[in-house]
Parts: sequence; C-alpha cells; structure tokens
Amino acid sequence: MSREIAPGIHWIYEAGPDRTESWDLADRNPEWYEAGREAYVPQCAYLVDGGEETLLFDTLSPASTDEILAAIDELVGDRGLDYLVVSHPDVPHAGNTLAILEAHPETTLVAPGYGNDHELYHLDDGIHVTEGDEIDLGDRVVEFHEATFLDAPVSVWMTERETETLFPVDWMGFIHLDEEKLAFVDELDGEFDPSRLVEFHGRVLFWYQYIDVEKTNAEIDRLVEKFDPEIVAPAHGLVIREDATDYMETMKDVTRTIDGQDRIGTLG
Amino acid sequence: MTVPVTPTVEWINQCYDHEGRHEHVSLYLLRAPEGTVLVDSGSFYHREEITAAVDEATGGDGPDAIVLSHSDYPHAANVSPLGGDTEDVELVASSASPAQQGLPDARKCDIGGSLTIRGREFSFIDPPLADRSHTTWIYDHGDGVLFTADGFGNYHDPGQCDHLSGDFPDGTPAEAVYEYHRDNLVWLRYVAPEKVERTLDDIFAEFDVRAVAPIHGNPIEAADLDGYRDRLGEAMRRIADEYAVA
Repeated sequence: MSREIAPGIHWIYEAGPDRTESWDLADRNPEWYEAGREAYVPQCAYLVDGGEETLLFDTLSPASTDEILAAIDELVGDRGLDYLVVSHPDVPHAGNTLAILEAHPETTLVAPGYGNDHELYHLDDGIHVTEGDEIDLGDRVVEFHEATFLDAPVSVWMTERETETLFPVDWMGFIHLDEEKLAFVDELDGEFDPSRLVEFHGRVLFWYQYIDVEKTNAEIDRLVEKFDPEIVAPAHGLVIREDATDYMETMKDVTRTIDGQDRIGTLG
Repeated sequence: MTVPVTPTVEWINQCYDHEGRHEHVSLYLLRAPEGTVLVDSGSFYHREEITAAVDEATGGDGPDAIVLSHSDYPHAANVSPLGGDTEDVELVASSASPAQQGLPDARKCDIGGSLTIRGREFSFIDPPLADRSHTTWIYDHGDGVLFTADGFGNYHDPGQCDHLSGDFPDGTPAEAVYEYHRDNLVWLRYVAPEKVERTLDDIFAEFDVRAVAPIHGNPIEAADLDGYRDRLGEAMRRIADEYAVA
C-alpha cells in the first residue's frame, strides 16, 4: 500500500498487528477510539523519486518482504533503486535490507554514521552519513541529520529540501483506526487528539518517563527552529502535511503528560 | 568455554573490538531442572564461536529453550543456528508482533509477568535502562540472577574478557561504565537520574538479586552491586551534565 504525499515522495505503509487487545483499548476507551474498531501503529517507509535517481528510506518489517519489493517495483519500474537508506538497524525498520539489496544489486546502501558497532548489523560496507550530508536525486535533495529522539545509537534522521519534509523516524508516531490507513492527519474526522501521541511515546520511547522535562522540551524548541518543516513523515504514524510545526510543539505537552502519569503500558 | 557466574548460570562471552577497547556481546546458559535455557543468542558476528561453545556446554545436545531480551540483531541473530526455529527448542520473546520482529515462532512473555521455562521460573521486568521499546529484563528465580540488556554494561580492556566484577581491583571501573552508557543509551543525555534510580530501587526491593548479568558487560557479583549502582548513578549524572541543548 502506498500513497504520494508530495510530488516525488511516496509513503509505503505496513499496518502491523491490531493493537486493540494488547493496548486494552476497549476497556480504557480513550476519546479518539471507537468501540469495535481495530487500531494500528504502522510501520512506514518512504520512497523519494528525484527524477534522475531514486531513494528508499527504511524497509518495512520482515513480515512485509513481498510487499516492499512489490512497492519498489511499482514505484521505480525499470529505472532501479539507486539508494537504500537504513534509518537505524531495528528489525521493523531494517529487516528487509538484505532482501532489497539482493533484488536490486544496483542499489547503494546508506547507513547512519553514528554509533560504533556497524559490523554487528551488516552496515559496515555502506555509505555512512552524518549531519549535513546530502544526496542529490535531481529534483529532490535529501539531507541527513543526527537523530535526536531515538532508540539505537546507530541512527539518522532525514529531510527533503524542496518539499521541506522531515522524516523523524521513531519520533512523532501515533496510533490510528483501521479506516485511517494512509490518511493524512488533516483528513481525519474531527480534531486530532494528542493523547494518541502520548499512547505511542509512553510505550515505544519508554525512556520519556525518565527524562528531564524542561531539557527535553528545550530540545523540541530547537528542533522546531532548526527544521520548521511543511510536512512531517514519521515511521510509525500518519503523515502530517498541515501545521507541521504545531504538531512538533504539541510534543512538549506529550512530554509533560508522560512525566505526570504512570507508565501507560508497554508496546505489547 | 563458559564462565560460571552462579551455581547454575554460565556466561558465554564474546567481544567486539572498538580499536583496542572491548565490548561484550554475550549470552548466558542456565542449567534448569528440565533442560538448558539460553538468555539471548548473540550476534551473527560471533556465530561460529557461540554455536561451538553452546555445543560443548550441552554435550552436543544444544539448548532446550531460548529466552530473548529483545530482537535486536546482536541479541537474536543466532536463534535459528541454535535450533530456536525447531519444535525441540522453546523460543520465548516479549514482542506482541513477533512477525514484525523477525521471530514468527516465538512464544510471547508479558513484560510484568512470569513464566516457568524448563522447570525454572522467570519474571519479565519493564527495564529502566534499555534502547529498544520491547526489551525486557529477565529475573531468574533459581539463582537470583537479573539479566539487564542493554543496561549495566561496561567496556573492558583485552585480558579482562572473562572477568567477573570481583576480578577487577576495585570492581567494574567507573570510566568503563560511563563510556558504555554514553555511547549506547544515547537518550541518557536527557535523563533525570533520580527517576531511573527510583525504579532500580523498586526492582531491587522486589527481587532478591544475587548477581547482575549484562549482555554488554562483565557480570556483577552480589558484593559489588552497590558499588556498581553508585558508579552507574554517577555515569548518568555525568552524561546528562555533559549535554546542553544548543
């Protein structure tokens, strides 16, 4: 499943398991949830087609090997995939790396330049990118950034210059209902409920419960000033294409909320 | 070759060389009443050494169960070579979406719950020090060993690869504890150390921890636990103090 979110940028979507039971949604019945519906925390990859060259950011999980290979074929056709960027070597993000490289021997692997154990992830042979490194794809130019809110130390974030899209990987993810698959946030019914962000970050970036709130929120201010994006394309949420910086600002409330409550639960 | 940690817990250690400084990428073998249980499976990078060590330690039979702290490649890369994809070996992992984690055959353990595996009781603990979201710490009720991926680690020098904490002149060196956590748990730059320490206090109050078994460090013996925790606290404070938001 894929959708073009801006000219040349394609969103490739994997739903993963229904979280209704493991997140106890029916009993807790949060405001955004509707009884009887399924709910998902997606796994997303993004394909950037710059006209001259193509780039895939992340691979989906090993449960979707056939799907990601089919999506690449559909989106790049005979032109081939020029770059595969692994944001970080977490299985759901990088689990199809070898399958993609086998199917596309023309592809150059691009890996984070951060961290110190690339060999343990088969990432020692790729191009290693750090803050400010760029890849010019023609009409689109991607730039790499040190990941701010992350899990693995071998991590990198990305932006696309022309469309002003930020790809913040594990940050700014959130749960959505079944019928919202591949919807933009501005297409959802009603006002977006920030508690969806709390549900995700309280479980997945579990360490938010152990942080200095003011320092973390000062970091978010810095990110807003640094990126000021038009579009936010997270790995585990729906794409935000309107008022993107407002959603980044909302993350400060998310930080405070997680700090002020007990652990909402694990990822499951 | 394995290193005894407690009467029935043995350490299978391998090292990754950071230009002269070593980082353990380990697993542990438990001799449970009804078979052998591995905690983690190690990295593909050490596959030959690990499978040989497990083979030797089990008399060629291989393990009867594998319990994973999380699916990260240096922890879960040898599940299949160790038989974890066969019916003879019980595979246990904490993820609710094992297919997405590349572990479609795993039996799920609930973080916060307990399981008896091969006659041994294990509790699965929500960890305050980890990197990946689905990580569980694992407490062995038999010998009181707490497996703490990816926290409680340390780098070490060549020649210290088989050391238990008591083999160091003054316990696990503070600088090695600091450097490991600075490099590997990057989020600690934002940490409020007292929050982590409160959770550690709760865990150590609830469970009778007689040894800590990190995947990326030298095992910590009972007599050295307080000293290690002091150094861990200092390491967290130092990491947080050294990072200022620009």
